[in-house]
Amino acid sequence: MAARGLLLASIYLSLLMHECYGVTLFSSLQKTLQVTTTTKRGQVLKAGEDKVTITWGLNQSLAAGTDSAYKTVKVQLCFAPVSQKDRAWRKTEDHLNKDKTCSFKIVEKPYNKSLQTLDWIIESDVPTATYFVRAYALNAERHEVAYGQSTNDQKTTNLFDIQAITGRHASLDIASVCFSVFSIVALFGFFFHEKRKARMSQQK
Amino acid sequence: MEEDPPSPQKRSTSPPTPFTLPVDSDKKATEFRPFSPSSLSSPHMRAFHLAWLSLFSCFFSTFSIPPLIPIIRHDLNLTDTDVGTAGMASFLGSIFSRLAMGPVCDLLGPRVASATLSLITAPIVLSASLVSSPQSFILVRFLVGFCLANFVANQFWMSSMFSGCVVGLANGVSAGWANMGAGVSQLLMPLIFTAITSLNVGTHTAWRLAFIVPSTFQALTAIMVLIYGQDLPSGNYKEFKKTKTESREEKFVHVLFNGLKNYRGWILGLTYGFCFGVELTTDNIIAQYFYDRFGVNLQVAGTIAASFGMANLFSRPMGGVISDEMGRRFGIRGRLWGLWAVQTAAGLLCVLLGRVNSLCGSVLVMCVFSVFVQAAGGLTFGVVPFVSKRSLGVISGMTGSGGTVGAVVTQMLLFSGSKFSKQTSISLMGLMMIVCTLPVSLIYFPQWGGMFCGPSFDPNEPADEHYRLLQ
Repeated sequence: MAARGLLLASIYLSLLMHECYGVTLFSSLQKTLQVTTTTKRGQVLKAGEDKVTITWGLNQSLAAGTDSAYKTVKVQLCFAPVSQKDRAWRKTEDHLNKDKTCSFKIVEKPYNKSLQTLDWIIESDVPTATYFVRAYALNAERHEVAYGQSTNDQKTTNLFDIQAITGRHASLDIASVCFSVFSIVALFGFFFHEKRKARMSQQK
Repeated sequence: MEEDPPSPQKRSTSPPTPFTLPVDSDKKATEFRPFSPSSLSSPHMRAFHLAWLSLFSCFFSTFSIPPLIPIIRHDLNLTDTDVGTAGMASFLGSIFSRLAMGPVCDLLGPRVASATLSLITAPIVLSASLVSSPQSFILVRFLVGFCLANFVANQFWMSSMFSGCVVGLANGVSAGWANMGAGVSQLLMPLIFTAITSLNVGTHTAWRLAFIVPSTFQALTAIMVLIYGQDLPSGNYKEFKKTKTESREEKFVHVLFNGLKNYRGWILGLTYGFCFGVELTTDNIIAQYFYDRFGVNLQVAGTIAASFGMANLFSRPMGGVISDEMGRRFGIRGRLWGLWAVQTAAGLLCVLLGRVNSLCGSVLVMCVFSVFVQAAGGLTFGVVPFVSKRSLGVISGMTGSGGTVGAVVTQMLLFSGSKFSKQTSISLMGLMMIVCTLPVSLIYFPQWGGMFCGPSFDPNEPADEHYRLLQ
């Protein structure tokens, strides 16, 4: 019984270790891609309406063959530090599996040596925050091997704001008011009815 | 010593009653039959079902917001501090409303008091769909929390309808089934949200629309209470108010101060704060904890959180039953030891919950923890009726309020802002539970003893001596 437990525990542990061994750290990635966006400083874009033109590609000043392992490029929308402050669910972690910095996928395309451009219309479920754009280069096993971002290493330059759409509609406001009125009327209606019943039973 | 002849069954000497349940001389039911449909014709069981359903709807409404927080925090750009402050605010209002509910029930009757509160807070629940800033979010959670005062009305109503031999069970089952509202809400709200989004409504609007369900349900139960319920077995408060003596109002202040100066009430308030308060805090944070730490999706997080709250179906009544059994065998000493043991075990499990790193382990520990912490709540109200006969309402109110104070304190210290990681906070909460359960050993009844000391006088002394000491 103890031996079986030990065997199960060791299998579980070895699986865990395999998992750990396969995890990519952000600090181990090379910054070989160049990413630029057409946003201006302090510009506020509207989700669902405005578009951002994103350009990405290999940094041409690097030696040839740097990109031999790159098979796919994943471009993502990432939170700037000001939007991560006091929000543990957007925290930056070195383990890419646990990293929550880049939560929105813009596009994923096969890697191309030449410069790629995309006119991206900001999706309607993007929340209000300050962002930058990051591109990861993935190898054939879909592990990140390199990256590039539209801001500097401290994530202070070239950030842009997105304003989310509001979910409030006039119909919802009206429904709320009607419901409140109904509630109060029901309550006072009941009191009035009770008073009348008491008065009628007194008269009898 | 010759035993007194067994007193004739009260029901055989009183005139035949129109009730389908056996009753005592006060017309309070001496049997508790929650599963028998024929008993619904008696006002006692009707009151029971209406009471637990309306309190269930209040818990459902108050906890309809936490499972949707992962969506709402994106929409309103909330910070950790905002979420924590809102969580605290949701219980802050109920501290005062629970204290005030006792006297209000005395004046207006539990039926009118609970229905009025429900009907006034139902529109506020719906107004959660209108918030568009962190400040309004916090305000709405504060105002919605007021409806938790219906717990006092619920217990008051049960005490008016059920006789001493079954009142503990009626109170425990009623509170336990009502507490399940928190769990059911965690399960249903993500499902309602998903159902609305499947109708091609954007996420920004879907979560707002979801609040139509709890607000409508709350209003409906309140109206049912008004139409079908009655305060007392023989009728409503208004009909009896005229026959109440004036001296009752004069003594009210005496009754209030009598309760407030009883140290046992304060100790029970503290311990209830760290079993029910911890339960409330866990209801608030557990879905987010599983969503953030283990990366499960909204529905799965809601289901896990729901299983925490739904254990109340049997665990709180079980606490009451254990208390009664310990009381039968060992007297008050047994009840106190039972309370200390179960609550300390819950504290240890809470510490463990914060230490476990796997999803399956966490869910398992959480389930066992839920049973123990909820049973501790039932055990607390197994001791409350013995603290004071004259000031039972005040002691119940103090204990009930203590529960929400505990929730506010734990939220404030451990779950607002990003000081500690959530798992560390959970372990620290368990540690606080263990420490704050120790004062149970200080509770001492001169005629029955305490955890470590026996009674200090001869229990065969005349009964009125006991009554005065029971003040």
